[in-house]
Parts: sequence; C-alpha cells; structure tokens
Amino acid sequence: MMRRRIWALALASSIGGTLWAQSDSSSAAEDDFSQYDNLGFVDAGAKRFCSPKIEGLSPAKLISLGYDYQGAYNLSASNIFKVEDGTYALDPNGQPMVVSRGSQAKVNATYGVRAGFNIPVISKTNLVWQMGANYWNTQYAYDEPPTTESNLLHQTLSEHGLRTTGVNTTVFKPLDRKNFLLFQGSADLSGTYGIEFMPAQYLRYSAALIYGRRPTEKKQWGLGLARTYRVGEINYIPVVLYNSTDALNKWGAEVLFPARAHVRRTINPRNMIFAGYELEGQSYRLWRDPASGVDLRNEDLEIRRGEARFRMVYEFSLKDFIWLSVQAGYRFQYRFDVDRLVDGVEIYRAFGLLRDDSYAQTNVLGNPLYFNVSLNLVSP
Amino acid sequence: MLRKLSLWAASALIAFTSLNFELQESPGDKLIGVWEPSNGRSRIKIDKIGTKYYGRVVWLIEPNDPETNLPKTDKNNPDAALKNVPLKGYRMLKDFVYQTDGTWSEGTIYDPLNGSTYNCVIKMKDKNTLDIRGYIGVQALGRTDVWKRLATAPAKK
Repeated sequence: MMRRRIWALALASSIGGTLWAQSDSSSAAEDDFSQYDNLGFVDAGAKRFCSPKIEGLSPAKLISLGYDYQGAYNLSASNIFKVEDGTYALDPNGQPMVVSRGSQAKVNATYGVRAGFNIPVISKTNLVWQMGANYWNTQYAYDEPPTTESNLLHQTLSEHGLRTTGVNTTVFKPLDRKNFLLFQGSADLSGTYGIEFMPAQYLRYSAALIYGRRPTEKKQWGLGLARTYRVGEINYIPVVLYNSTDALNKWGAEVLFPARAHVRRTINPRNMIFAGYELEGQSYRLWRDPASGVDLRNEDLEIRRGEARFRMVYEFSLKDFIWLSVQAGYRFQYRFDVDRLVDGVEIYRAFGLLRDDSYAQTNVLGNPLYFNVSLNLVSP
Repeated sequence: MLRKLSLWAASALIAFTSLNFELQESPGDKLIGVWEPSNGRSRIKIDKIGTKYYGRVVWLIEPNDPETNLPKTDKNNPDAALKNVPLKGYRMLKDFVYQTDGTWSEGTIYDPLNGSTYNCVIKMKDKNTLDIRGYIGVQALGRTDVWKRLATAPAKK
C-alpha cells in the first residue's frame, strides 16, 4: 500500500514537473551562457548591415519645439539702388538712383519659435528613410520702430520678420557591415511672407550625398558633396561626416563639416554637454504687400543670411523620452546682404571664383549673445 | 491485476499529459529561440512563460565593462537598485502576447545603452527574421530593428 502511494506521488510530481516546463520554456541549464558563444544564423544567406547610428551618439529628435533669442545689436543697412535691364538706373545727374537710403538702427532682440519633426517612414536593417518638416519664425524688435522713411530692410524686418517653412528627407542606405550611403534633401520656403505662403517658385532646394564607412560600433566617417544655402547663398561644397565615441563612452565628436562640429561630453546616456559651432543660413525672399508702398517683388530681392553660432549645449532627459536642450553662445554674422536675382535666376558666385557680382545691399550686423531652449521627443 | 491497472492508468496519464502539451503549443511559440539584433552585439533568447513571451540577453560581444573590466551591469538603468544587475541574463523583452493578426504585442523592450523602456511590437517576416519595432506611444514614433534567428546547435561563423 505504501509503495503504491509513493509511486502515485512520484507520478504526480512527474506530471507537475511537465506542466511547469510547459509554462516556462527556459531552464536553469541556460544559465550556462557559454552555449551561446558560437552560434550561426539559421538562414545562411542572412546579411548584416551597418546601423545609421554609433554607440554613444546623442539621440535623434523626432519632435522639437523651441525658442530662439538673440540679444541687442546694431544693424547697418546700405543704400538699395534701382536697377533696370540688369544695370543701375541713373538719375539726371548720372548717379545711381537710390530706392532706399542706407541707415543704421538698433535691434533690441531677435526672437522666434522653431519647430520641427522627423518621422521614420521606413526603418529596416537595409534601408532607413525619414521625412520631416520644420518651421522657424524670426521677429526683429527694433529699439525705435522704423518709419516709411527708414531703409526698406529695416521696415521689412520690423513689420514682417523672416520665416522658413520646409520639408526634408533623409535616406540611409547601408551597403554592407561597414559601408553606407547617406542622402539628405530639403525644400524650404523662406521669406517675409505671413499667413499666406509665397508662390512655390521661391522654394530653395538643398541636398547632400555622402559615402561613409563605419569601421567600429563607435566610429563612422564619410565624404560627400552638398548643395547648400548655409552661408546664405547657393553653394556646392564638399562635406565631411565624422562621429565617434571613446572606449569609456565619456567623450565623443559629432561633426558634419562645415555645417556643424561639436565635441560631446557624456555625463551619462541621459545627460550630455556639447561645445562647438553650427552654421545657419537661408535665402529669404523679400516679399511685401504692394499696397504698403514699394513693391519689392518687382525688385527680385533676397536676403542672403549666413551666420556661425559658437555655443555650448546641454541636453538631458526630463523624463524618459522627453529631453530638454539648452544652448547659449555667440552669434557671428557672416553675411546678411541683399542680392538681386537676374531674371529670377540666382547668382552662383562660388565664393567669388566664378562671378563677382555686387550685392544690391551690403549690411553689417553686430554679433550678440544668444540662447535657445527646446523641448524634444527623442527617438528609440 | 491491480498492477496491470496501475500501469494502464499511468500510461493514460502520460499520454494525456503529452497530448495536453501538444494542445498547449500555440502558433505564437514560433517566436521561441535565440535571435541576434542587427548590430550583432548581443543575442537574445526568447522564451514563453505562462501565456506570454520574454527575451533575455544570453550573449554580449563585449561582456566586460571597459571601465571596470568586470562583467557589464545595467548601469544606465534609471532605477539605482537595478544598476548592479548583470546584463547577461537580463530580461529586455517583457510581456509579449501573441495576437490573432500574427504579431506579438502589448510588450516592452529595454535598451540598456540608455536605460529606456519602449513599447514594442514584434512581426515575423519569415520564420528566421523578426521586425522588432520599439516606439513611444504610437507606432509612427519608433524605430524598427531586424533580428535574425540563430541555430541553437553550435556552428562555425
């Protein structure tokens, strides 16, 4: 009798063990992790591709809402001359006819909202494609509001400010485990427009194509060519990509030269400090309501804004994926000149190597301190 | 006679248990196995516990922390109590439930590189390939990684 009870108990234990095994497919034997050291793919044809990111890189921003503020500076605007048939129109005395006289004015602050988003459309191992959009609004607060007698640039900036609305795309195509192609393109509508957009003919296109290598998980570099407005006017320039992180994940570099270059100090993966610079620039159509006076549309004028921002940036996680970015630095003007298009066609000067046309207006800005704060939703 | 009856009863119970086991295998169990993320720096073993699927780190290309030369721990975890938990063995996929549309969802994925946990959905592209999409709130705000199944018997790489 006793033997039968023991046998029944053993059987019950056995069944119980089987049922337990059903509810947890792992087992204690798997704590011997060495059994996973030398495994190969089941699918022998499976290929590995390099990732667009490296270890330690600052997180990509999916959604960003920020505010940019520049301190006070003087803006010295030169004469704007009348042009007919591609040459200066002359007055009865044989002097160029002035459309608007030059003057200097103090700008107390330049400020505005900057918003953007980037959404992955395709995110696969062998292709990553992102689409995004951005909106920047820049307002100019003059110490003394310009009058109708003031230079047209002051009037325009004071009354309308500058805006950029654009769309962009990024395609990362890994070729294998080490090599990749990176394409970035954008179409921006920049000008003095308000609620109504300007005609699409004023869209400005930028693009860059880079061939890169990712020799390790902590380093990638690349070389390419870009069509850019970062110095204010159209240019075709070589670009260099370089991202790296040191062995201890403390220091790194994030560079897309000449657009930007930063040294990164990683306090921890949720706290990072950067020091470096970024070039900013656009070509802004001077688009003004003809009812307000001079119709600048007929003058075919565009502001070529190019500036360098030398800065410190602190980025940190407020909570999980919500990051705050705070930056402060020095805004250095490279160009804020007004260019006159010839029959609607931009002048490609190639830094004066190809052409040496004069600007319609040459302006000088003081270089103030600036700060920028943004709230960001960062990518996984 | 009694002995024969006991043996018959035991056989029936074992057969029933085996049948029960077969019946409890779900289509979702094809997720079970060892998988390698696209960066090739780790291997994850996915198991089923109860009715849900979990994945834990079983291999790291760089098992030791270069700073301490000791086995890596979850030092980026925002919870200070978990910072010393070894990464090897860490459950980074949690609570996945197989759905009728052929996906595994309702689970989370943990990224030890930044200590963040994301919503996650798993799709099987073919029997040896997974699309693992980590996302924030809605799937549009996310990133997909492709994982490949590894042969559990040792093989030359």
